[in-house]
Amino acid sequence: MAPSVAVMALVLLYPFGSALYYSFTNYYLGGTNTHFVGLDNYIALLSEQRFWADMLTTMMIVLCSVGLQFVVGLAMALMLYALSGGVRVISLLNFLPHVVTPVVAGIFLKWMFVGRWGLLDATLIALGIFPPDWLGEPLWAKFSVIMADTWKFMPFLMLVLYAGLQSFDTSLLEAAQIDGATPWQRLRHVILPMMKPLILFVLAIRMMDAFRFFDIVYVLTNGGPGTATETITLYTYQLAFRMLEIGRASALGVLTLLVVAGMIVGMILLMQRGGREAI
Amino acid sequence: MRRKARMQALLLAVLIVFTFINLIPILWGFLISIKQPADAFAIPPRLIFEPTAEFHIDVWVNRGFLSFLLNSAIIAAATVLISVPLGTLAAYGLARTRTKHAGKLLFGLLTIRMFPQILLAIPFFVMARWLGMIDTFSMMVMAMVAMNQPFTIWLMRSFFVDVPVELDEAAMIDGCNRWQAFLRVVLPAVRPGLGVTALFSMLLAYNEFLFALILTGQHTKTLPVAIAEFGGEDINYWSISAAGAIGIMLPAVIFTLLVQRHLIRGLTFGAVKG
Repeated sequence: MAPSVAVMALVLLYPFGSALYYSFTNYYLGGTNTHFVGLDNYIALLSEQRFWADMLTTMMIVLCSVGLQFVVGLAMALMLYALSGGVRVISLLNFLPHVVTPVVAGIFLKWMFVGRWGLLDATLIALGIFPPDWLGEPLWAKFSVIMADTWKFMPFLMLVLYAGLQSFDTSLLEAAQIDGATPWQRLRHVILPMMKPLILFVLAIRMMDAFRFFDIVYVLTNGGPGTATETITLYTYQLAFRMLEIGRASALGVLTLLVVAGMIVGMILLMQRGGREAI
Repeated sequence: MRRKARMQALLLAVLIVFTFINLIPILWGFLISIKQPADAFAIPPRLIFEPTAEFHIDVWVNRGFLSFLLNSAIIAAATVLISVPLGTLAAYGLARTRTKHAGKLLFGLLTIRMFPQILLAIPFFVMARWLGMIDTFSMMVMAMVAMNQPFTIWLMRSFFVDVPVELDEAAMIDGCNRWQAFLRVVLPAVRPGLGVTALFSMLLAYNEFLFALILTGQHTKTLPVAIAEFGGEDINYWSISAAGAIGIMLPAVIFTLLVQRHLIRGLTFGAVKG
């Protein structure tokens, strides 16, 4: 155990410590005059319009795509649960988008959305419908990014929720059925309350991962048009590795960490309250 | 009963249609990869054409993707070889101690996994520049081991927890010391878990993009970086690019088939046992 902890300390805590330190300096790669600037980086970011716009974009993408994934994933899980044969094949096939290398997924989706030659446009044009510019118009670009994230991560929710359904004690469901509960009532009053801890758990995982959303959006829109789909991670990437503003980028990373941590704490509180209600 | 059978048939039909729609992006990518560009860009989309394998051969042989595959394989294999043994030892320790520290440590590990990756990428980049280690395998592997370690520990721990403590105790009564009990009795009992953990770590390293983008270069470029750089804009390159994309996807498909029974456990850090 000790060697692993030592390795962890060296390779994870040391970098984190240095990032935290950089965030209080004006460290610029290529520059020589690095010194301590206190909270300057944080103040600069917080008074910047781009920071707030990106934060808002990220939040919107996270909430819309996680919400959509959850609804579709739950529907799929329920259908698989009701199905009597062929479940394994269908769930494995639907799982494929999730294991595909994210960059490759981004490329596949680009061929769906790209103007004129993309499958979506080609089909719509053939049907005589004039398609919008999926990746070139700010609002549609956001839509495309949300659809892309949903395509990639719905399978994850589907599989985990399906596993949750399977681990149920079926007698409760049967009892509800005998009592004449409609399918909707069974879902609303039996299935969802029983799955609440699992649902909160997967939603928490997904939201934290969605905040790190990078690969697909990098390939699909690279933040464009303009900065319409620029997430916080993309902005940090630009700052750190394009402009080499290590200090400023680290501060942005720390701010992201704080937002994510705040979200986790919120989820944990929600979970605890849910637990007490259940008792 | 008749009504039930009809419901099942309807359900199956809905699911099959949805599965098909869900897989269209992949199927379409595959079709582009075996079409001549003239067929790939026809409007309306052309479904009958003369298939060709030339782009698949072109991308791997003439465009250097074989060497990128080798780079990816080296990085993934080295990551697994380092992080799985380390993680297994730590996981065993954590699974068998009931102290408060163990719980705290586990939670800490989970927290680190949830960090914005880019925040850790910055110091790795600075460190690599400073040490002159950009574009080296060792730097990339070190970063991957660091990022993988919490996951490896959590997943392996869930397999160790499944093995009853009585097994260790019986081995020790029979004269093994703790180390021998671990090596000869417990480790063989979690062999499937080791395989699953290794496969998941391999996939994570193979799919990694952000770290590969900033830490690799001409000599160590991995497949995801190569395909992202590869003229996605220029439509003349679509067929070649599609062939590359399909090829890169194949290991992921094989992976899914290999770990299918343990997918859910791997996806949830061992928290949900599918």
